[in-house]
Amino acid sequence: MSEPLLVLDNVAKNYGAIEALKGISFSIGKGEVVALLGDNGAGKSTLVKIIAGGLEPTSGRMLFEGKEFLAKSPAEAKAAGIETVYQDLSLCTNVDVVANFFMGREITRKVLGIPVLDERAMEQVVQKALASAGTRIPSLRTNVEHLSGGQRQAIELNRFVHFGGKLVLLDEPFAALGVEQTRRGLDMIRQVASQGIGVVIITHIMQQAFQVADRIVVIRQGVVAGDVARNKTSPDAVINMITGETLAGAGPAS
Amino acid sequence: MNPRTRQTLEFILDNLVWFMLVFVLVVFSILIPNYFQLGIFANIIEASSVLGVMSIGLALVIIAGHMDLSVESVAALSAMAVGILFCSSGIGLGIQLQPQWLMVPVSLLIALAVGGLIGAFNGYLVVRVKMSAFIITLASYIWVRGLVLVISGGRSAQDLAPAIRWFGIQRLGGLPLTAWIAIACFVVFSLIMAKTPFGRHLVMIGGNETATFRAGIRVNRNLVIAFVLAGAIAGLAGWLLAIRTSGATANLGVGLLFNAFAAVVIGGVSLKGGVGTLPGVYAGVLLLSAINTAINLMGLPANFTQVIHGLLVLAAVLLDAFKQTIRQRLA
Repeated sequence: MSEPLLVLDNVAKNYGAIEALKGISFSIGKGEVVALLGDNGAGKSTLVKIIAGGLEPTSGRMLFEGKEFLAKSPAEAKAAGIETVYQDLSLCTNVDVVANFFMGREITRKVLGIPVLDERAMEQVVQKALASAGTRIPSLRTNVEHLSGGQRQAIELNRFVHFGGKLVLLDEPFAALGVEQTRRGLDMIRQVASQGIGVVIITHIMQQAFQVADRIVVIRQGVVAGDVARNKTSPDAVINMITGETLAGAGPAS
Repeated sequence: MNPRTRQTLEFILDNLVWFMLVFVLVVFSILIPNYFQLGIFANIIEASSVLGVMSIGLALVIIAGHMDLSVESVAALSAMAVGILFCSSGIGLGIQLQPQWLMVPVSLLIALAVGGLIGAFNGYLVVRVKMSAFIITLASYIWVRGLVLVISGGRSAQDLAPAIRWFGIQRLGGLPLTAWIAIACFVVFSLIMAKTPFGRHLVMIGGNETATFRAGIRVNRNLVIAFVLAGAIAGLAGWLLAIRTSGATANLGVGLLFNAFAAVVIGGVSLKGGVGTLPGVYAGVLLLSAINTAINLMGLPANFTQVIHGLLVLAAVLLDAFKQTIRQRLA
């Protein structure tokens, strides 16, 4: 395995008496795609939120690029280079495509010392990014509320491809996408990983996990039930890990 | 539908309130004798300056998805603070500063500071204590007005220092400087909302607060700034009010809040947040003012104004819903 980018060490999260995560330990290497699998309520989304700064863990620690890391807000995680695409879309439907693409990191130029939005520069970047990904949106100036679910998800996916960072977390990114767009999305993930960016993808679809991931991590009832290289396992074995019928192949891969 | 018609329709929808304003002005000019003269139009702008400034602050907070009911009381408190310090009769202390003009920035700063402080208080409670802005600012609406009564003892201050009053008397291009201040505020804040990251972030926060938080925008900081701005702008409105009435009374500006609300809603700002522009709000303010002037000219009892304003707000909300349906058809 390549040099670890993010190491999770016994990360736990309680909601009152309920233990959502009982202690999760695994690591993600640079340029590695890890598929995070597990049944509904296994704690996948909670884990992603902890890494992304949306939730604070109850205990445990994380190492990011070898240094102790805990994001107190999404802004901190972003600053550290962690991009997240959430399950429920994180778009502001009341503004246009360009504004959404650059949400929180608008290109500005100074006019009399005051930062002013550079709409033209931003529009050009978005146009280029969407064109290279093959996403067709009629006008970049239409408000997102007028776009289809697939177009919306495409904006989010293109956003992380464009801004990159060091680690990308994808929480069921293809839920609203068609067959062709999903294929393109998976290509995007490989392309991002080949630039040395670590990718964690949550999915329910076994086929997608096997198509894109280098390693498969299964979470069951708040603990890691399996951590295996893709080429050393099979969909059936993974399903057994998810449902808890066997613990075949359990334990860290490296 | 071809793109050109669609674009035209969208343009009309986006600027509907301006078309309404022009329509109303034309109708009044035809139907009401003496309505069509520059003096009347100047009067419409002049009469709308206090309301206009106050509406800016209210609109900022509503666009960001929250609410500020305290603007009216905050304006009254700022006006009273300026009145007590710089008026020479009634409860006025008649403080004199040398040179005279120094009283202008000092009084203005006091008005802005009073408003800004109450805005900061509101914002802090909304953001940190996570209470509903509606309740917090309703409370502020009540206690701040109470504070005005307490510090004034229910009495009034008259005869504002001439150096300050100069802004209400001196005219430029037919309009008093106070009206120009209101116009300048609209220009400045319209630019901030449309052209700066801060304005863009407020609109997006109003649209989807979770998304902006996840995107790393400092939502809390932006919201507190919005509340402080709303308070400070209300303070400025109070300063203008003190100049306009050359002093302050304990019930100064009562009812302005509902007019500001009407202007904001008529101007196309959605109470759900995230939708609306400040030029639209200014058109809403001018529309209200144009109707008031018409009522005066027709010699109707002034009490009718309130009925008409109420109906206008209702019409504006209905219109907003209607606009939504058309937009959905367009998409």
